[in-house]
Amino acid sequence: MLQAYLPVLVFLGIALGIGLVMLAIGLVFGRSGTDAEKLSPYECGFEPFEDSRMQFDVRYYLVAILFIIFDLEIAFLFPWAVALDSIGLAGLVAMGIFLTVLVVGFIYEWKKGALEWD
Amino acid sequence: MMGWLESIWQALSPLSQGVLISTAYIVPVVVVIILCVAYLTLAERKIIGAIQNRIGPNRVGPYGLLQPFADVLKLLLKQVVLPSRSNRFLFLVAPLLSIVPALAAWAVVPLFPGFVIADIDAGLLFVLALTSLGVYGVIIAGWATNSKYALLGAMRSAAQIVAYEIAMGFALVGVLMASRSLNLGAIVEAQAGGFLNWFLVPLFPLFIVYFIAGVAETNRAPFDVAEGESEIVAGFHVEYSGVAFAVFFLAEYANMILISALTAVMFMGGWESPFAGLNLGWLSAPGLHWLAVKVAFFLFCFLWFRATFPRYRYDQIMRLGWKVFIPITIVWIFVEGAMAIMAVGPWSSA
Amino acid sequence: MAGTLFFYTLSAVLIASALGVITARNPVHAVLFLVLSFVTSSVLWLLLEAEFLAVVLVLVYVGAVMVLFLFVVMMLDVNVAQLREGFTRYAWLGAVVAAVLAAELLAIVWWKPDGLPMAATTTPRPADYSNTEMLGTALYTEHLFAFELAAFLLLLAIVAAIVLTMRRRPGLKAQDVSRQVAVRREDRVRLVQMKAEHDT
Repeated sequence: MLQAYLPVLVFLGIALGIGLVMLAIGLVFGRSGTDAEKLSPYECGFEPFEDSRMQFDVRYYLVAILFIIFDLEIAFLFPWAVALDSIGLAGLVAMGIFLTVLVVGFIYEWKKGALEWD
Repeated sequence: MMGWLESIWQALSPLSQGVLISTAYIVPVVVVIILCVAYLTLAERKIIGAIQNRIGPNRVGPYGLLQPFADVLKLLLKQVVLPSRSNRFLFLVAPLLSIVPALAAWAVVPLFPGFVIADIDAGLLFVLALTSLGVYGVIIAGWATNSKYALLGAMRSAAQIVAYEIAMGFALVGVLMASRSLNLGAIVEAQAGGFLNWFLVPLFPLFIVYFIAGVAETNRAPFDVAEGESEIVAGFHVEYSGVAFAVFFLAEYANMILISALTAVMFMGGWESPFAGLNLGWLSAPGLHWLAVKVAFFLFCFLWFRATFPRYRYDQIMRLGWKVFIPITIVWIFVEGAMAIMAVGPWSSA
Repeated sequence: MAGTLFFYTLSAVLIASALGVITARNPVHAVLFLVLSFVTSSVLWLLLEAEFLAVVLVLVYVGAVMVLFLFVVMMLDVNVAQLREGFTRYAWLGAVVAAVLAAELLAIVWWKPDGLPMAATTTPRPADYSNTEMLGTALYTEHLFAFELAAFLLLLAIVAAIVLTMRRRPGLKAQDVSRQVAVRREDRVRLVQMKAEHDT
């Protein structure tokens, strides 16, 4: 089984190599010479001001947590869909219950307004 | 001469033999992908030009056919500006992080009957995992640049994956339920026998959701909020120039081709012919030409969308992902489950 | 031989990046080290032929959880001095947790309780072995109850997240797309019949 992953590893290496070679060509053959203005961050002609980090709304975390929960749910669905043949009706019903429970959660989010992005 | 080569080959360990064989498969595939990217950029300018009643590039070579090479040469010779407040190491790593997954995901895509570079069992999961890594390039580029526009681009990109990745995952579960295999080659074979057997037919809503989510995944219009050139200049790659920009560009276009190929493989039978079994010569024979036709069709859709739709605002993307796509996909999974119980449709044959 | 070498290289990278997580001064670098350690542990799992878990580790942790981590860390201006102060204050607690964790790990390695099949097999699986299918079969037949419990845990997590962080800003005027779409001509347009006006 592991032999099948060898080409993947080689491909990752080749892809990385292409990226590195391109960057190297650019850094070697590209023009050089510069001044402070050229290197300063572009802010539509203004002098850069303040640090660019900023605070943001807690609402984003909520959607992010919901996203992770649903991502986990999908991770449960993959082996289920593949094993459908061998788990039979019981497996199907089990997933029906699992999804129903989570749909309840989904409806709760929706009704609570957690999915409004404002 | 041959005997000499063969003795060297015999002397190599099985591991290095494996590495050499895979390299021999991978290099032509990568070269073809890069050429496709080059001509996709030309096609984009020509097609959008035609849609907007312009001519498009026509100066370099006949019909502008050498334009992509002129562009590459120009980008290679331009200066790579490293902005003064940036984190230099991460600034240069970011383009690598976007090109590696965009190319490496091709390892599991079946290109024609019996040919796939890495025939791994969890192919579909592997593709999903690799494409979800593409966002790192955008986010790290946005942060390492330390510019407000770039950071806004990174932030929008992170907000965007939250909106469509769940729907994309559910759509893939639907494909799995129909094919019962994670191996992309097996998924193609499950759709053999003419276009009525393609998963497009029973999974039509999932196909639409997957392709739209794919457009969002590649940060293409109308979901190009991370770039948003009319709002945040160029978003995450505002400070990238020369070849560093070219790497991002290559990754974006390679991703477009990848998403088109995956949509073709999972919903339109990959290299299978739509007229299979009709005895029409090459028209009914499976092969690379059919995959190419399907990929070209989806790529045309990418360009068509870009020329047609105004950019989504990101509360609209959020709504589309959570309130439209997720309910559709969940309902369709229940429908598929019910059909599997009642033994109707392609799910009963397995 | 090559396999062993590969394993030790990966383990070294894993340990080095784990050290990087706790020693990096810049929080963004720390998160990136954490990403690297997830990716290396995923490859280690792959070496154990736990294909599904390896890919899902990348998919869920690297592709989703860490992106959000990175995002939060990037946006917050973490005050390092304040963190240092917290470190010395809670160092004893950290030491206790670390000691308990180490004791548990050592106990498992040395005692090898009967329930845990340690290093059950080292023979490579055949090429057509589907780790995902095997996992699915086991999960949805033998461990059904635990699986349904997971659904309730996830539901609990959804409800808890909403209860803890949900707050509505009063007086917010947001666009409601479904209402916009549902609008009919009759709701907005009124046709009025009137005589033509003459300017006299």
